[in-house]
Amino acid sequence: MLRVKQGDCGAFEELVEKYKQPVMNMVYRTLPDATEAEDLAQHVFLQVFKSAHRYEVSAKFTTWLFTIARNLCLNEIRRRSRHPAQSLDETFEDNDEQPVRQAEDLRTFSPPDSLLHGELEAKVEEALAELPEKQRTAILMCRGDEFSYEDIAEVLECSVSATKSLIHRGRETLKQKLKPYLKTGAWKEK
Amino acid sequence: MNESEYQALIEASWRRSLTDDEQARLDAWLRAHPEAHNEWEAESTLNRLLEQLPDAPVASNFTARVLQAVERESAAAARRDSKSIFDRVKQWFWRPAPRMAWALLVAVLLGFGYHQHQTNVRGEMATGLSVLANVATLSGPAVLQDFEAIERLGKSAPGDDEELYALLQK
Repeated sequence: MLRVKQGDCGAFEELVEKYKQPVMNMVYRTLPDATEAEDLAQHVFLQVFKSAHRYEVSAKFTTWLFTIARNLCLNEIRRRSRHPAQSLDETFEDNDEQPVRQAEDLRTFSPPDSLLHGELEAKVEEALAELPEKQRTAILMCRGDEFSYEDIAEVLECSVSATKSLIHRGRETLKQKLKPYLKTGAWKEK
Repeated sequence: MNESEYQALIEASWRRSLTDDEQARLDAWLRAHPEAHNEWEAESTLNRLLEQLPDAPVASNFTARVLQAVERESAAAARRDSKSIFDRVKQWFWRPAPRMAWALLVAVLLGFGYHQHQTNVRGEMATGLSVLANVATLSGPAVLQDFEAIERLGKSAPGDDEELYALLQK
């Protein structure tokens, strides 16, 4: 990043190559339209390039990058909320308790004995999409050991304990929503 | 192991696979607390599902498009910089406060110019008056009775002088 700060385009290309997938994963699960997500992810890197002069060496790059990504996602969601014709949602409130995308599914499910992996995957994605933005972002960033709880807390602009609480609540919601689709262990209906 | 350590292991499992030692301690806890088995099963299954989430699709030309966007942005920024000074001055000039300032400046300059002009006119008038005052102190017209003869002497041709000189030599 220091090389990028000095105007090294090669270094910037390396950064994009290295982080395009994690950024896309995050953006895609906030704006689940692949084209829009890709446009936004590109904008994230463009913003990184434009803001490189403001980057502080003391800051962890991935935390800074994901803060930019999250802020742009939130801006896009707010923009959509101001222009409902372009929005997936009728309304949106920037509230942890209020899901960012309320893709309400009114169907009733009667899961077959064995679900195809692809279908289960889709259900996981759907359940994730229905989580409030902060819970979803916290859970996604929590996968793997790239980010500490402190890093996640910094991106979400909240305390570490609040971050853990977000993850816990989000996971509880996921477990509840996915329970009907899993027939093993604790996932069995009692 | 106590309850808080068990919770810490669950939190650790959210982020990574447990080490052998951690797994052994967890197994021991679950043997001692069979009621926790379902909870752990749910946690580990969810961990697996989240780990298995596929990556979002990324276009093969993603990086190239980002670099193109950066180039376009850099070029646009350069263009903005090059014309921005003129535009900023123009914009600034047409804002209300600068407009009033400019109007005031022009008024002050006009006033100063008019004042200078008046000063010059008065100066010239004073000079003229002083000349007239000097004329009033000259001698009377009798002093000028041979003026024309004297003036003619000054205008005599060189030939006259040479002729006079030749006569005197004789």
